[in-house]
Amino acid sequence: MSRPVAITGLGTVTALGSDVSALAAALADGRGGIGALTLFPYRGRCAIAAQVPELTAGVVAALPPATGRRLSRPDRFALAAGTEACRDAGLGPAERRAAAVHVGATIGGMHEVGEAYGRRFTGVDRRLRLSRVLAMPLSTTAAVLSQALGLFGPRSTYSTACSSSALAIAQAAESVRRGAAPVALAVGTDGLCRVTYAGFDALQALDPEPCRPFARDRRGLSLGEGAAALVLEDLDHARARGARVHALLLGDATTADAHHVTAPHPDGLGAAAALTGALAAARLSPDAVDYVNAHGSGTPQNDAVEMSVLRRVLGGRVGRVPISSTKAQHGHCLGAAGAVEAVVTVLALERGLLPSTRGLRAPEWDDVDFVPEPGRRAALGVAVTSSYGFGGHNVTLVLGRAEGR
Amino acid sequence: MTPVAITGLGVVSALGTGVAPFWEGLVAGRSGVAPIARFPVPAGTLGAEVPVLDARTFVRSPVGRRIDRLSLLALAACRLALVDAGLGPEAIDPTRTGLGIGTALGNLSETGPFLERVHAGRSANPLVFPNMVMNAALSYASIELGVTGPSALLTEQEASGEAAIAWGAQLVASGAVDVCLAGAADELAPLRHQVLHEAGLLPRTPGRPFDPAADGAVPGEGAAVLVLESLAHARVRGVRVYARLAPHPGFGVPAPVHGWPRDPAPIADGLRALAADVDAVVAAASGTPEVDGVEAAALVRAFAGRAVAVTAPRGAIGDFGAAGALGVATAALMVAHGVVPPTVGATVAPPGLDVVVGSARRLSVRTVLVNGLARGGACRPLRVAAVA
Repeated sequence: MSRPVAITGLGTVTALGSDVSALAAALADGRGGIGALTLFPYRGRCAIAAQVPELTAGVVAALPPATGRRLSRPDRFALAAGTEACRDAGLGPAERRAAAVHVGATIGGMHEVGEAYGRRFTGVDRRLRLSRVLAMPLSTTAAVLSQALGLFGPRSTYSTACSSSALAIAQAAESVRRGAAPVALAVGTDGLCRVTYAGFDALQALDPEPCRPFARDRRGLSLGEGAAALVLEDLDHARARGARVHALLLGDATTADAHHVTAPHPDGLGAAAALTGALAAARLSPDAVDYVNAHGSGTPQNDAVEMSVLRRVLGGRVGRVPISSTKAQHGHCLGAAGAVEAVVTVLALERGLLPSTRGLRAPEWDDVDFVPEPGRRAALGVAVTSSYGFGGHNVTLVLGRAEGR
Repeated sequence: MTPVAITGLGVVSALGTGVAPFWEGLVAGRSGVAPIARFPVPAGTLGAEVPVLDARTFVRSPVGRRIDRLSLLALAACRLALVDAGLGPEAIDPTRTGLGIGTALGNLSETGPFLERVHAGRSANPLVFPNMVMNAALSYASIELGVTGPSALLTEQEASGEAAIAWGAQLVASGAVDVCLAGAADELAPLRHQVLHEAGLLPRTPGRPFDPAADGAVPGEGAAVLVLESLAHARVRGVRVYARLAPHPGFGVPAPVHGWPRDPAPIADGLRALAADVDAVVAAASGTPEVDGVEAAALVRAFAGRAVAVTAPRGAIGDFGAAGALGVATAALMVAHGVVPPTVGATVAPPGLDVVVGSARRLSVRTVLVNGLARGGACRPLRVAAVA
């Protein structure tokens, strides 16, 4: 049983746009962000991704120029999203100083390190460029956010593969609930890089066409990148300072499959435990769920396991609860996925707009409402969003509409 | 909040595998620093390498056959900690057990070869890629131990150990789990050596913590995992309790994003609330003068001139992201044994700081402050205290 935590600030950078309003517009008209992969040359089974256009230098204005040049792409994404979220929440300097920072990520500066290593390996450079290597540690992003935005409360960085930033949000909420910080910034960020692209390709997990979650002919995921940031605070704290509340985090749960390094548990035991646990923490029955923002990666196995979990937990209501995967629009943002999809879910609750599952013509499960394109209006009270990561790390967040609570 | 007990320690260090060689080595002032022998380096390059671990000793599941070296370090520390706590596999309640693993850099051994292969235009090895994921060590430990409760991989540069242990302690304190395994691992691999070597950052002499003339930290590796459980749970089991651990979320201070804090004042301000009753400090100092000096000044300020015994294990075990986990283990052993080990490599103490040098000091240690400090300005202090 957990006290609701207010979400008072949002920020994002994805292939769908460089702020929340661009994301919201793309979700409303069902636009796709998956296109040609141009960040690095790649010759494999496919070369598409939901790539973020290069961000302008203005993002790093708060940092010394030498530091700004050393940032990784995920650092820049996170800083842009974090800046937007703090501004959106109207956090003043004193509120920022005490704020906690919780980051979820999996890549860090691997793209920058990988390219530097490639130049060294092929003899272009005579030594590894330290300025690129410094960006490698995942915790650098939290340091960037802390130093650039003046956030000097507790700081943590989590990496549980594709559930990393869902975990960061859950932990940020927990830190607010127990009073470790009055306000917490939760950020998920990741960027494309050769290591993950080649790795997922080698696992035959990439769809050569833009991914089609829940489709009968789905063949895999489409990698994406970006960042999303959420400001969380105690509801009374938010009200006392007159902040606008976008939505509430009502409950969350984190579980492990203890099954396999890449495959989910065939019966989805851990995923089901996360969903039921999060609803229990929110003191809600599965009947209260109005919308499921699915993990919906588009791989044959993951979608099948996820549907079996939803069928089991939602029971007879499975055909009546809208379920969609927005990864068909913004791609699978890996460590950032949980936070990007939390923002998507908050927008659905706040604006009463169900995002669609783009590109879904022939669903494998024809008794389920996967929200046809381009989405539709619906008054939602409670929504859940789940993230499942390699190694069987599962996180479910239960979100609720702010009004009337 | 539920009091948290440390009931098991699993340590893999340059001083040996297991708690006994680690603690005996620390107390005797032995150094784990020696020329790097595991992979080719220019002659005489110093490192603090752990003894070879046999995967067959620690891996039980078929999935674990492909375990990488870093994950094996973490798994070995987990298994050693469980044995030390008297917890057999049957004693673990999967859903009421948590798992928190820290690492600063993850699996470096396989990163270099993987990058070479990808940049040579060859396809990636699908059997190696799962090990490249940052949370591989957490996944392997979860699968091998059958833990299905809350789990997390935490990373915080030089304070990755303290970060993971603080997370685990908080989980137990909140009542969400009965037991939590928490600790960290980092490895010394060719890629890390290459980066340090080509940047000219490798010292020629063993690390000298707190010495203003030191020429840098010696890269090291190792792992430590603690079994944390509620004091009540430990009492019911009737097991030895090394010490209590108070969770602390840490705090941030101004610092260059990629470098060390320069101003000791904000660190001291944050530590002051934790300084009461502290008899001894496990410091982060490693022989990097720019940060050791800031840490020394912050400790002097935080204790307002009160003399507390200070020891810095990185002098003996080398510098690595998980070293703080071994630091928390050191603190637990200091409380349990009433001994403060000497700081290997240190000969002089900074003004106003009682650094234990030369030989170990007998002392009734009731409360230890472990001073986790990381690049980018993350402070992860923890208090380890005797059980009343």
